[in-house]
Amino acid sequence: MTSIQIFDPALCCSTGVCGVEVDQQLVGFAADVDWAKQNGADIERFNLAQTPLAFAENPVVKAFLERSGADALPLILVDGEVALAGRYPNRTELARWAAISVAEQPSPSGCCSGSSCC
Amino acid sequence: MNSDCKFLDQAPRFLFFTGKGGVGKTSIACASALELADAGKQVLLVSTDPASNVGQVFGIDIGNQITAIPAVSGLAALEIDPQAAAQAYRDRIVGPVRGVLPDSIVKGIEEQLSGACTTEIAAFDEFTALLVNSDLTAGYDHIVFDTAPTGHTIRLLQLPGAWSGFLEQGKGDASCLGPLAGLEKQRSQYKAALDALADPQRSRLILVARAQASTLREVARTHEELNTIGLSQQYLVVNGILPESETAQDPLASAIYQREQNALTDIPAAVSGLPTDCIELKPFNLVGLMALRQLLSKSTPLSTSDNEVIPAIPAANLSTLVDEIAADGHGLVMLMGKGGVGKTTLAAALAVELARRGLPVHLTTSDPAANLTDTLNGALPELAVSKIDPHAETERYRQHVLSTKGAKLDEQGRALLEEDLRSPCTEEIAVFQAFSRIIREAGKKFVVMDTAPTGHTLLLLDATGAYHREVARQMGDSKQHFTTPMMQLQNPHQTKVLIVTLAETTPVLEAAHLQNDLRRAGIEPWAWVINNSVAATTVHSALLRQRAANELPEIAEVADRHAQRYALVPLLREEPTGVERLLALAGGQSPSPLVPTDHKGEG
Repeated sequence: MTSIQIFDPALCCSTGVCGVEVDQQLVGFAADVDWAKQNGADIERFNLAQTPLAFAENPVVKAFLERSGADALPLILVDGEVALAGRYPNRTELARWAAISVAEQPSPSGCCSGSSCC
Repeated sequence: MNSDCKFLDQAPRFLFFTGKGGVGKTSIACASALELADAGKQVLLVSTDPASNVGQVFGIDIGNQITAIPAVSGLAALEIDPQAAAQAYRDRIVGPVRGVLPDSIVKGIEEQLSGACTTEIAAFDEFTALLVNSDLTAGYDHIVFDTAPTGHTIRLLQLPGAWSGFLEQGKGDASCLGPLAGLEKQRSQYKAALDALADPQRSRLILVARAQASTLREVARTHEELNTIGLSQQYLVVNGILPESETAQDPLASAIYQREQNALTDIPAAVSGLPTDCIELKPFNLVGLMALRQLLSKSTPLSTSDNEVIPAIPAANLSTLVDEIAADGHGLVMLMGKGGVGKTTLAAALAVELARRGLPVHLTTSDPAANLTDTLNGALPELAVSKIDPHAETERYRQHVLSTKGAKLDEQGRALLEEDLRSPCTEEIAVFQAFSRIIREAGKKFVVMDTAPTGHTLLLLDATGAYHREVARQMGDSKQHFTTPMMQLQNPHQTKVLIVTLAETTPVLEAAHLQNDLRRAGIEPWAWVINNSVAATTVHSALLRQRAANELPEIAEVADRHAQRYALVPLLREEPTGVERLLALAGGQSPSPLVPTDHKGEG
């Protein structure tokens, strides 16, 4: 199965509810990840504040951090290769990577999950 | 047993003493352990007090391993330093990546793990081993803890989400579990520890309070919180009660006696039914076996040191601080400190004193029990008062987030968000958001707040601020001006932080920790206020004079080591409510008993 790995910046919560303002992108993305998992996707999230070793042990992630710094996160690897950086994927992208059929599923988390349209 | 304390009657194996800093948990725990050992039991005493003086009390070095107390047969002790435990815990997570990942990133991770939750969880991690059956503790009839996990810690460990895959697979997709990520023990061990805590046959929780309305209210909250999560075997100890015999010819002592008796009469209903013991204030320091053996017994030998002269303390009063605050003409004044040190009263006193000088002031309080709005509103033309209810704000914030950010989520996504919104940060953020609406006024007038987020939370808030700035920069939106709450708080021209404490060992130590926390967040506290000081009054009662003498080294500690400037606020005969008494508290109007100079020749 395709493995999707999300390397998050240092977050208190993966939904971002601990910030001064709840980050819509994180809220939407947390729901999208949950949805993709329910549909059988293999997704792991790594929080820089909680599992830094996972960042250090992955040469791709480590090189990315050294080049671009923690501000450039999130970084998304699909089967170990960089698929996306600097923003979260939307539900369609997750579905494509995980080969989930989304024909009858018009992204219930709305237009802004992962994108910056709102 | 030589005492008749209910909380030691048919004591189970585990005894936990809980209560806020400075109520005397450690002394009572030591005395209890001693009494059980004297009765022929094998006892282990465990202290997690950051100011642990268990070693000093028994006259030997103890530290982080079980050490037999030579002078008492059957007694051993162990000191757990929560800060050191938290550091060890951070090292476990951060150590392997130090030098591997860029330094700035490692520093950011350490900051994320510097919150109070981390310290609490790390300490719990340390004493889990003592609660489960092991060779380590097999020989002890009783294990006495001078602390207990808070409801927050227990809930965190009970969260089903905490375990589903988190520790087993080591995958970080459970949310809001930062502090749990580095735990090394097994799920089964935590479960066994929690089971032991909730078993009345094995565990007894002893709530320790003082005879003060605010402390008793806090204890009632703790009782209810721990009761709901299954710790049903609870006892109450009210420590340090002034005996009636001290009230003769001492008006302050009489007033304190009366106030304490009233507080006991009006004890919150939630705890009034608990088996309760009252321990009288003792005239001696609780150091040494003799003193400890007398703590729990009723008859107190009279102190022989009542004739000591208490030296005068040269310290500013609140009014002196107000002089400097007033000079700026406007700004934010925040009072920080642990619950029960008097932040609300002092905030009101500062606000009233500023308003008396004709300066525009907005006083805002989050103390649910404060009825400042009723007493003060309209009392002074320049003073506006507003109140923030933390529970209502938290609920409103939750609903707001769910109905806006969560509006388009499906049921599962919504449930996920709802669980995250139960995180302990949420209340602090919700309250701070409510305050930040008011903070904006500080550009034109004075805003006085009786509460403030911790340094750790401020850093989290700022991380978001930095993120928003970054987004704006990337979008090329240069017109928008970003000022995060943090930037305002770091600017000494805009914000003055006052740390409030009591002149007692543990509260001073806790305040010093708070100061370090703030410094890490780039905020330098402007002043310290030592509240309810007996040393700043004139007293005749031998007991109170002993208490005053005990305060002196603590005041010196604040003056010499911690504070840039500080003020000493005397313990008052009456609760400072209403404009007149608050003005008197500030010390600007009436002559205050600031410096006790007339002790010579008393006896």
